[in-house]
Amino acid sequence: MKYQIVIAGIGGQGAVFLVKVLSIASALAKQKCLGTENHGMSQRGGSVSCYVKIGDFYAPAIDEGQADLLIALEGNEALRNIQYLHKDKGVIVMNAPKNFPKVDFETHSIDAFKKAKAKEFPIDALNVYMLGVTLALDAHFPFTCKEIEEAITAMNAKVAEKNIAVLHQGINDAKAKK
Amino acid sequence: MKQILMGNEAIALGLIHAGVDMLSGYPGTPSSEILGNFQKFRDKFKLEAYAQWATNEKVGFEVAYAGAISGKRTCATMKQVGLNVASDPLMSASYIGLKGAMLLISCDDPGFYSSQTEQDSRSFAKFARIPVLDPSTPQEAYDMVKLGIEFSHQFETIVMLRPVMRVSHAREICEVDDTLHVKANQGNFERNIPRWGAVPPAGRFRQGLEQIERLEAIKLWNWEHLIEPKTHALKGSRVLCLTSGTGDGYVKEAVEELNIQVDILKLDMPYPLPKENLEALFESYDKVIVFEESFPCIEEQLSSPKLYGKLTKHVHLIDEFSKDKVLSAFAKAGVIEPNHAYQSEKYDKELPKRPPNMCPGCPHRDVHYAITKTFKKKKSIYTSDIGCYTLGLNQAAIDTILCMGASISMASGFSISDPDKTVVATIGDSTFMHSGVAPLINAVYQNHKFVLIILDNSTTAMTGRQTTPERTNPNQIDIKRIIEGCGIACHEYVYEQDLNKTVDFMKSLQEAYKTATAPVVAVVREFCVLDKENAVGRLGNVLVEVDEDKCVACDSCITNYKCPPMHYNDAGKMEIDPFLCAGCGSCLDVVCPTDAFVKKEEN
Ligand code: SF4
Ligand code: SF4
Repeated sequence: MKYQIVIAGIGGQGAVFLVKVLSIASALAKQKCLGTENHGMSQRGGSVSCYVKIGDFYAPAIDEGQADLLIALEGNEALRNIQYLHKDKGVIVMNAPKNFPKVDFETHSIDAFKKAKAKEFPIDALNVYMLGVTLALDAHFPFTCKEIEEAITAMNAKVAEKNIAVLHQGINDAKAKK
Repeated sequence: MKQILMGNEAIALGLIHAGVDMLSGYPGTPSSEILGNFQKFRDKFKLEAYAQWATNEKVGFEVAYAGAISGKRTCATMKQVGLNVASDPLMSASYIGLKGAMLLISCDDPGFYSSQTEQDSRSFAKFARIPVLDPSTPQEAYDMVKLGIEFSHQFETIVMLRPVMRVSHAREICEVDDTLHVKANQGNFERNIPRWGAVPPAGRFRQGLEQIERLEAIKLWNWEHLIEPKTHALKGSRVLCLTSGTGDGYVKEAVEELNIQVDILKLDMPYPLPKENLEALFESYDKVIVFEESFPCIEEQLSSPKLYGKLTKHVHLIDEFSKDKVLSAFAKAGVIEPNHAYQSEKYDKELPKRPPNMCPGCPHRDVHYAITKTFKKKKSIYTSDIGCYTLGLNQAAIDTILCMGASISMASGFSISDPDKTVVATIGDSTFMHSGVAPLINAVYQNHKFVLIILDNSTTAMTGRQTTPERTNPNQIDIKRIIEGCGIACHEYVYEQDLNKTVDFMKSLQEAYKTATAPVVAVVREFCVLDKENAVGRLGNVLVEVDEDKCVACDSCITNYKCPPMHYNDAGKMEIDPFLCAGCGSCLDVVCPTDAFVKKEEN
């Protein structure tokens, strides 16, 4: 298998956490995985992007036109990284408001900020929520819900229960929308 | 045993498995997590090992080197610009060699993700004449740590490991040793004055000759153990790609995906190279292209009319690698037709800019704001330094940034060259300990008049909040007493979120400056909002919003204060993003000329 994911967001939204979860999930699914995080100058509020390459890869970064999936924790960050998507099979899962500009890819969007403002889920779990949305909507996503749950538990067993609940909320909200 | 490791974790585990029990360094992205992870593994395996942050890279290097010449296995960690600071002892240590083993880890940052320069530590290894290993993945980094330590011991030389950001911060499933066989190794310094204390020219001359002999032996070893075995896999294509480090991954992937007919030979030790043996290989090829990040280190050691690379301008000269850059090099060298397989259209409308910015609620922002409010831009020069506060650039509160410690020495310089302006220098606590003390002594010694503000959040925040000397030993090391030790007064301010108070403090410094005959030095006792221990109880808990009727969109808040939650909404009025606002309340009183910022609710 070969599957490449770009995760984009803003510093503080937990993009790096998702890289860790997905690399653990890869190990559980017996797949090779190369992930990189863009650390450094971006404190809270700066653009952050991470790459996860699952399968037989050697180069750490994802090139333009290559990604199968773009998970964007914030809408504008989706647009900022759109060139990484594969022209034919690229899929976007993003947190964006209803009136967001249309783009030329299969797009699944949900207004997670609105839900968080309405206190439907805690904003610091936005990353896990969007992973749930991805599980529900991206038909080619290479992991099962169970693998993701196990990976979340392996990351930090103490808060796993809470995180898994948010994951399912994401799944359910996404399905309800469909 | 298989484990998912980030590059810097893999390196730390490799050090443990290689029997290193003395580690010293200074934080710097992307190297910072090595020492912290080493401490974590040390505690997990209940090993006895020294692993501590030093005040700067030169000090860190020298501590580790002393361990190595007493026969221990040691390591010093830093980033590429940190190596500049440690270059002084490195040059001599390379002549002298060692008894135990020492790995010098210098992490590079192609693409300038968090550095002021790109640099290539391999070039430094070449300059210092020590061997360097260039890993391309976390797995290789792990393996090369072990190889490097053995090699260092065998050849009595310092060995450099040079991972780049995409190795240090990459994550993969690594195969690592199952069990731990290491015991703390005992150092025993044996007096040998001609070796360890050699005085130029006679002593060093001999060591210089030995160094050259050692290099010849290492070249041969490089050929026999690392390169020659790989040459059997070459397929006899017309084009040979010489790769090193991450360059290898990009070439391999592009060549495989687009089915380009070339041979690839990865050089694990890019310096010193067995020039003759390698060049003999070239005979059966039409073209040899060198893919390396960032400088032409391999290319500079070889010569052949068949050679293509950075020196011949066939390969890009700056920025990190990508497969697109690999294709463009192949095309320029005439190996393939121009190919744009790795190019895609960007979104072409304007997007909100998110330049690196200080965290919401960070005290540094208030200090910079108060400085520009008090010491007016036209009549002042703001020198600053390396750390989170560098991001005060966004508030136009910084005129110069050079290297660690330079804010103070440059303030001295400006006070002489442009005496009509008030020079205001800012520096963090960790940077002050790193390289600020000596220039402060210089300024007092020569009575240079400027304002120096030390922003003390008692952590090395930008690299991930490593501890600082003051933090670890607060009763002994105190910035205030260091300043007083120079015979001058220390103005102290304990930060409060009421921005008016910070401005008032700045005004008091301005008063002191009027009659001063020496530097006016202040320390602001702050905290980092991400520092759980210190920030507790000091962060605010209000929610702020903007009264749309009062906001006249004058840009004042966003140019002078620029807290990340502030942005214009569709109505052209300022708005606060509730998910980013830290609730500190600093912006409430001073930043808006029409008082449009109002308290919404207590959080
Ligand atoms: S990491 Fe800490 S010191 Fe740095 S900008 Fe954020 S709050 Fe300020
Ligand atoms: S209260 Fe004001 S200054 Fe503090 S974080 Fe929120 S917007 Fe920024």
